Amino acid sequence: MTAPREELGLARDLEARDRFADDETDPSVSSASDPVVALGDDAAPDGLPPGGIGERQSGRRGSLPKLAVPGAPLLVAKDLRTHFKLDAGWVKAVDGVSFRVDDGEAMGLAGESGCGKTTTALSLVRILPSNARIRKGSSIELFGIDLVPKTENQLRRYRWREISIVFQGAMNALNPVRRVGEQIAEPIEIRLGATRDRATRQSAELLELVGIPRKRAKAYPHELSGGMRQRAMIAMALACDPALVIGDEPTTALDVMVQAQILQLLESLRRDLGLSLILITHDLSVIAETCDRTMIMYAGRVAEEGPVSRIFTAPRHPYTERLLGAFPNINSDRRTLETIPGIPPDLLNPPEGCRFHPRCPAAMDVCREVVPPEVLFPDGVRVACHLHPAGAGGGMLISAEDVASRRMPPVAAETPAVGASPGTPGSVGK
Amino acid sequence: MTGSADFVPTGRSLRAERWRLRVRGAREFAGQFASRRDGLIGLAILSAFTLMALSPDLFVGAKETVVSATGTRLEPPSAAHILGADELGRDILNLTVHGARISMSIGLMATAITIVVGTSIGVAAGFLGSWTDSGLMRVTDFFLVLPTFVLAIVLAPVILDIIGPEAEFLGLRATLLVIVVVIGITSWATTARIIRSQTLSIRERMFVDRARVIGSGSGHIMRRHIFPNVVNLIVAQAVITFAAAVFIETSLAFIGLGDPFAPSWGQLLESAQSAGAPGLGAWWYIAPPATCVVLVVLSFTLVGNALDDILNPKAQVRR
Amino acid sequence: MSGRYIVQKIAQAIVTIIAIVLLNFLLFRMMPGSPERILLRNPYLTQEKVEQVRADWGLDKPLFPDQFVGYVKATAAGDLGYSLQFRGQSVVDVIESHFWPTMLLLIPAEVIAIIVGLTAGSYAGWRRGSGGDKVASGTSLILYSMPYFVIGMPLIIIFAAGLGWFPTSGMTTPGLSSASFLTQLFDFLRHLVLPLAAISLGLIGGYSIIMRSAIIETRSEDYVTTARAKGLKDRRVLRQHAFPNAMLPMVTIIAIQLGYVVAGAITAEVVFNWPGLGTLTVDALETRDYPVLQGVFLLLSVTVVVANLGADLIYGRLDPRVRS
Repeated sequence: MTAPREELGLARDLEARDRFADDETDPSVSSASDPVVALGDDAAPDGLPPGGIGERQSGRRGSLPKLAVPGAPLLVAKDLRTHFKLDAGWVKAVDGVSFRVDDGEAMGLAGESGCGKTTTALSLVRILPSNARIRKGSSIELFGIDLVPKTENQLRRYRWREISIVFQGAMNALNPVRRVGEQIAEPIEIRLGATRDRATRQSAELLELVGIPRKRAKAYPHELSGGMRQRAMIAMALACDPALVIGDEPTTALDVMVQAQILQLLESLRRDLGLSLILITHDLSVIAETCDRTMIMYAGRVAEEGPVSRIFTAPRHPYTERLLGAFPNINSDRRTLETIPGIPPDLLNPPEGCRFHPRCPAAMDVCREVVPPEVLFPDGVRVACHLHPAGAGGGMLISAEDVASRRMPPVAAETPAVGASPGTPGSVGK
Repeated sequence: MTGSADFVPTGRSLRAERWRLRVRGAREFAGQFASRRDGLIGLAILSAFTLMALSPDLFVGAKETVVSATGTRLEPPSAAHILGADELGRDILNLTVHGARISMSIGLMATAITIVVGTSIGVAAGFLGSWTDSGLMRVTDFFLVLPTFVLAIVLAPVILDIIGPEAEFLGLRATLLVIVVVIGITSWATTARIIRSQTLSIRERMFVDRARVIGSGSGHIMRRHIFPNVVNLIVAQAVITFAAAVFIETSLAFIGLGDPFAPSWGQLLESAQSAGAPGLGAWWYIAPPATCVVLVVLSFTLVGNALDDILNPKAQVRR
Repeated sequence: MSGRYIVQKIAQAIVTIIAIVLLNFLLFRMMPGSPERILLRNPYLTQEKVEQVRADWGLDKPLFPDQFVGYVKATAAGDLGYSLQFRGQSVVDVIESHFWPTMLLLIPAEVIAIIVGLTAGSYAGWRRGSGGDKVASGTSLILYSMPYFVIGMPLIIIFAAGLGWFPTSGMTTPGLSSASFLTQLFDFLRHLVLPLAAISLGLIGGYSIIMRSAIIETRSEDYVTTARAKGLKDRRVLRQHAFPNAMLPMVTIIAIQLGYVVAGAITAEVVFNWPGLGTLTVDALETRDYPVLQGVFLLLSVTVVVANLGADLIYGRLDPRVRS
């Protein structure tokens, strides 16, 4: 089911009214006369938004948050560190993760259980357990607005309206004692200030958008099938017309047929609404189908990150190779293994140096001692592995700042691999 | 159970090994318990009361009687009587400390009955299953429904009548005996239910092993296999039951089922009530026994909660 | 919730009630020499009443089935025997006259306890570990460890004997029966405050502890995370998402507790000399007025069974997952 975003114009003009009821810093705005920054037709006069969208004109957003920095990319995380306090010490669940998501992009976050992908995503909206701390030095910039120093009240403004989440296992993620339609209408009514009626109507439209008949709005979650519940969660995530939707294992626990349907739905929503997506999953095939870029995480750090096509055809990090199965690596004469021996490390006391070294068949002495720096290669892939140091193959050391601005190494860019969208850094060449 | 053929065959080593494991388990447990502040406070309070119960004479001398009373009627606290005197002039501090022994021993015996009966029925029901289980559980559920306090009130005179007012057992006179029995009768059902659940889940686990335990009778299995695994639960339950037992005994004594010659705290409060202490503002008569009861029940509850959390952990994720 | 479920539950309740009646029947037959000795040593009964009872209750016939059937028939017909203490009044009358004072005490107490206890428990559980939680939990735990009369006695000492704000005992001041309605009402209310406070506080202790656990469990559920991720205010998440789900088991617990509260209030009534069922029970105990004791036991036990049945039926209606 594809309904252009204009049919969701309701959300748009609600956005324009821009209820800042929750935000204490921004002055309350309730009149439409307040200037609202818009992309698309009313884009900044210098042409292409520097967010790197390129040809992908999504015309998506009706408005940006008031504090948005003009020209800033959708989301940039720089050196994100989220640690959990236990009696025994600090669990370094996310330990120096940087990445960038552009408007209209879909990024896949992959890795084993416990690698920190969910924590990373939840850190973005700070839905974390009470013993979690986002370390100083981390920054999460949404349209240039740093969310990390914001107070809970200030941060609430951005939840769901800019970033929403589709949780896995929607049976538990939906309130069992309230009707589905109500739950979808709730953020429309409360966060956007719509009347009950309007919110209900909008919620019915959202349900249709995801392929659920309107009349099921009165159903309770347990009355829907697993696939329908997941769709309902997607509808709910779209309720406030967010800039970014995070899908936390949205297809796990669904059977393969339903999985395919959900992925198809996500893809069509992305296309028609110009959604940006962060998809968290341990199933790489999902990422291959749906995402433009992917970030492979291991033990709280980035192992490899870049365009999906590149990573899937020519993985560099040994961990990525194993995740992908039996892809022979042109650059190495090692034999790849089907399974990854060992267990993920204890993040309370992670290994020194490269955290993967205890399980890496290619581990060298340096791996045991020195944390591998992130190196960016001309094909747009970023790797943290001593096997792929800077210099060889055009790799250049990059910092978190570089990641944020997607600066390319000075060497001439290779032709992007087949399938890469025009929006990859290789073509923009900043 | 695998590899038992590789075990050193002498029974002695096996026992030594088991002992070593038990000691390590005990040490671990002690460590965990030490980190629970509420459990420690409870334990401290209980120890103090246990001391008081074991040797009250050490603290306040022999129990005062009407003959040895030196105070005036309902005398407020003074230098001579730190907590004042009752309506017969007896020192209240003295009576309260001596009351510890009565209250705690009644609680202990009632708990013993409850645990023994409850565990036996629970294990039997859970282990033997089918008809035994159904039958026992019907009875248990019935007792669970009955309001314990009212049942106790109704049973007490009946039992008293049956055993006769002169009966004595283990040094307890009839009235106290009745209270112990009555608390036991009315409290075993909860324990039975809980133990039965645990037994059922153990039985599921043991099924495979049971096939290997060739020829062992049910009794043997129950003793050697089921029982050690429910001990944790029993201990936690015992502590919680003790709290309830003291609570009920105090209430029963308060409404007149106590023994005036063996004044438990509840009995003291009954005397206070009869003497009109509340209306007269004689707080010194009421506060000591009342405080003791609350402290003991509270500390048993705290220790019981701590034990329950440690021995039967339920992991919870906090967001 | 199917009709079959309802019928099943009601049937179970009936069976339990029959068992209670049986227990009641046997209880006093167990004592040596009864029932003649117990039931008929009532000096206030006329000889012909004695004959009638003997006939009705089949006391010269064998225990089963004749006596039992006779007993059941009589009970069902509302004949619970005659009180020893109250000069031959029927047990039913005696219980009736003590019924309303207890209700006037317990109903407001329950209402107050539910409102305060659930609210306090919710906030304590929601802000687990906070200062407010520690204070609330500590207080609740202490109150929960105190029998009602142990709560009541200090109240009397401080507020009645000490400050003199309220009377020290009783439900009414004697000698006011000719005064105006308003005066009588005010007098009654003055007597009501302390016992009401004692019972409410005791109940609040229990309810808030249980509600706190329920909220703590609910708080870790995924849908609460979703609600927070939706950017809803904390209070809304608690009220609209956590609380309704925590209330599901709570309603059952409260309904079941309602059955037991009368029994619990016995000691409170004694302390305050409140002329209700509690005082009646204790007096009957003292005077070995077995017919009354039996009658009260029957009433309170059946109340509990009915309350449990109510809880089962209510839960079926509240939880949408069970409803269908």
